[in-house]
Amino acid sequence: MKPLVVIGGGPAGYVAAITAARQGKQVTLIEQKDLGGTCLNEGCMPTKSLLASAEAYEKIKQAEQFGINLPLEQVKINWDGVQHHKTTIVKNLVKGISYLMKKNSIKVIKGEASFLTNHCLAVRNENHVEEIEAEQFIIAAGSEPASLPFAPFDGKWIIHSKQAMSLPAIPSSLLIVGGGVIGCEFASIYSQMGTKVTIVEAADQLLPGEDADIAFTLQEELEKKGVAIYTSSSLTEMQPKDKTALFKHKEELHELQAEYALISIGRKPRVLGLGLEQVGVHFSKQGIDVNEHMQTNIPNIYACGDVVGGIQLAHVAFHEGTVAALHACGKDKSVNYRAVPRCIYTHPEIASVGMTEKQARSEYGDIRVGEFSFTANGKAMIANESVGKVKVIVEPQFNEIIGLSIVGSYATELIGQGTIMMHGELTTDIMEDFIAAHPTLSEAIHEALLQSAGQAVHS
Amino acid sequence: MAAEVVMPKLGMAMKEGTVSTWNKKVGDSVSKGDMIASINSEKIEMEIEAPQDGVILDILVQEDVGVPPGTIICYVGKPNEQLTEQNSSANELQAPKNEVAATISLEEPPANAASSKKSKETVLISPIARKIAESENLNVETIKGTGPKGRITKADVEKVLAERASEASRPPAEIDKAIKKETLPVAGMRKVIASRMHNSLLNSAQLTINMKADVTDLLSLQREIKDLIQQRHKVKISLTDFIARAVVLSLQEHKQMNSAYIDNEIHLYNHVHLGMAVALENGLVVPVVQHAEKMSLVELAAEIKTRAADARQGQLSTDRMQGSTFTITNLGAYGVEYFTPVLNPPETGILGVGATEDVPMYKGDNLQRRNVLPLSLTFDHRVLDGAPAANFLGTIKQYLEQPILLLL
Repeated sequence: MKPLVVIGGGPAGYVAAITAARQGKQVTLIEQKDLGGTCLNEGCMPTKSLLASAEAYEKIKQAEQFGINLPLEQVKINWDGVQHHKTTIVKNLVKGISYLMKKNSIKVIKGEASFLTNHCLAVRNENHVEEIEAEQFIIAAGSEPASLPFAPFDGKWIIHSKQAMSLPAIPSSLLIVGGGVIGCEFASIYSQMGTKVTIVEAADQLLPGEDADIAFTLQEELEKKGVAIYTSSSLTEMQPKDKTALFKHKEELHELQAEYALISIGRKPRVLGLGLEQVGVHFSKQGIDVNEHMQTNIPNIYACGDVVGGIQLAHVAFHEGTVAALHACGKDKSVNYRAVPRCIYTHPEIASVGMTEKQARSEYGDIRVGEFSFTANGKAMIANESVGKVKVIVEPQFNEIIGLSIVGSYATELIGQGTIMMHGELTTDIMEDFIAAHPTLSEAIHEALLQSAGQAVHS
Repeated sequence: MAAEVVMPKLGMAMKEGTVSTWNKKVGDSVSKGDMIASINSEKIEMEIEAPQDGVILDILVQEDVGVPPGTIICYVGKPNEQLTEQNSSANELQAPKNEVAATISLEEPPANAASSKKSKETVLISPIARKIAESENLNVETIKGTGPKGRITKADVEKVLAERASEASRPPAEIDKAIKKETLPVAGMRKVIASRMHNSLLNSAQLTINMKADVTDLLSLQREIKDLIQQRHKVKISLTDFIARAVVLSLQEHKQMNSAYIDNEIHLYNHVHLGMAVALENGLVVPVVQHAEKMSLVELAAEIKTRAADARQGQLSTDRMQGSTFTITNLGAYGVEYFTPVLNPPETGILGVGATEDVPMYKGDNLQRRNVLPLSLTFDHRVLDGAPAANFLGTIKQYLEQPILLLL
């Protein structure tokens, strides 16, 4: 088989490399930093490790409610220990990817790649430039945090998500600009660790892509932990010198001082510096243009993951990387975005798949909504995690399940059920006969489905 | 010695076969070559023939039960012949010594049979895709699935619907704008017919076969007896009445044609409720002659006349238009020769009758002037295949060519 080169060793890239190698391709992977990309090194994994530490601390503080007496005044967070736990996990996961590369005979080259022709790349590292020729290429260069034009990252006060997870100490105060997924996750982590957190969000709710009632449940919980939340607000000025930000909320100008200002307003595809113009690959600042096979306008060049824009989630990148590699190996494979779960690792967690209630009403008009609260779920009560609910959206003509949202403990695990239902295009009449284990949090999903059909038992 | 008939292996990949229908039962006499059972595997359906003359001594495999190739499905031997212990344990040993390979007669080339066997159960389709398809009367068997292993998804169904809508809305090319066109509303009887006929074609596998019957002798007989019947029974007997009688008798001999395909089951009827299509000014109705199998030729003729008159006068009650098990439609009066009748769902068959024609025909060495009647039989290929349908049509032809049988 003729050689294939993958640019980028994140979720899209390393999965594409493994898939192509297993199809018999001679594969080379080029990565400028560490294998695993943003997910392993700067995103999903380290933030979840920090969150786990914060939740463990939170849980220990609740010991008395479970009948355990502790000298609570002595329970403290060891920040170095938290960082060590995070770093160890990241290192082990990166090692795992390295092992997979070796196991699949994938050559890994460290360096920065850019196209010279549509069959040749220049790979630069500290010492030299190497030219690599190949028959096919898969670009999986990922994305990077977007910055505010008037407030560039300085790493000292104005920081991005990667910097926010490796601060020298737990900050006393933190301004988070952007109440999306990343902003809310950091708000959750640091508020549980005792930081005074303020969120400034331009939209009229946190998590603008989710239903307002789901997002509001999180907002209430964050506020209970002392997070100040300003929605419908716009940042007007950042003054690094005295660590002060100015923002407008309801026509009123507010001034806020914080130890750090985290800018979390989204991520932009890393399309510059790849030499795409050189070979004529079509792209914009929203990402590289691809078809349903993740193929660019240059047939031997594919692109996948965050670099194509769209849904910037690691599990979508896995899928896109697989599709790109299989198609490059001659398989008729297309992407399938039928049911992409969205997971937000806050406390409580939020997870959803399919349409929100608002989207469904706009698309279908009349819909049916079934809800079940975790306050009526035994397992949630036992775990002292009864905040939240399950909400299912059903299209009334055929009873198709078109959306499922969960806010509550383990929502990101529970959403797997909704993903399967939506991927399988199931209907509520099929799910009515489904048996949910008892006692489990999953029961809430079944009850919500029953309620959508007017047959709820426990509510 | 008794011959063991085994489930044949119809290909390297075949793991299991099923007897879909036993045409014979234990004790029935068979001649070598008689069809004794229909079997199907994953892809094809075939007939199994008797390997020798004799009787069916034992049937070891019930209908619709899958068994591996090589399994003995029945024994054919002499009347009262006792099966040995070796015989009866052969299936367990998996190595029958006296095995006679089942003689297989292919109804059609396997490739054709394969496509016709794609039943609703075997169609991989998501629940929501099936619901939408059913609500839009789409035949799921015709939709290409793009999901895992060809599973039909909601998007696949929506694509078909979009294509259908696009076809429907596409303006005819190069319309002369100067030409005025008249638009007729599709309502009332037209709407019912439009819906029923469209659904009929969408939801069944229709195939039409043609045959000519020499009705010279039948027409002579009709001329001979019509006055007598008119005087005695006040009924004007027509060619249609003879055809109806031939159909009724043939349906009793070929029960699979007197059936309906409902919810993936084939319902065989013992009674014959004969539908007779009657053209009206504004459409078409099908009055039903109930229990035609109990009627003589004259009774049948009288009933047909009564029902047709009721239909033309708009006095046909709803119950007289329901429950037919087979339909006859006649376009002979309009000079039509052959045509492809559309099934009257859920029936399995409909006979189209064309116009009688005078033709020169050799009878032995003599060239004669004969009257031939074109017959067109449309049947549901999901229920039965070409050969049994042809046999049924052949039986009708036989009755029409030996009309004395119709009077018995």
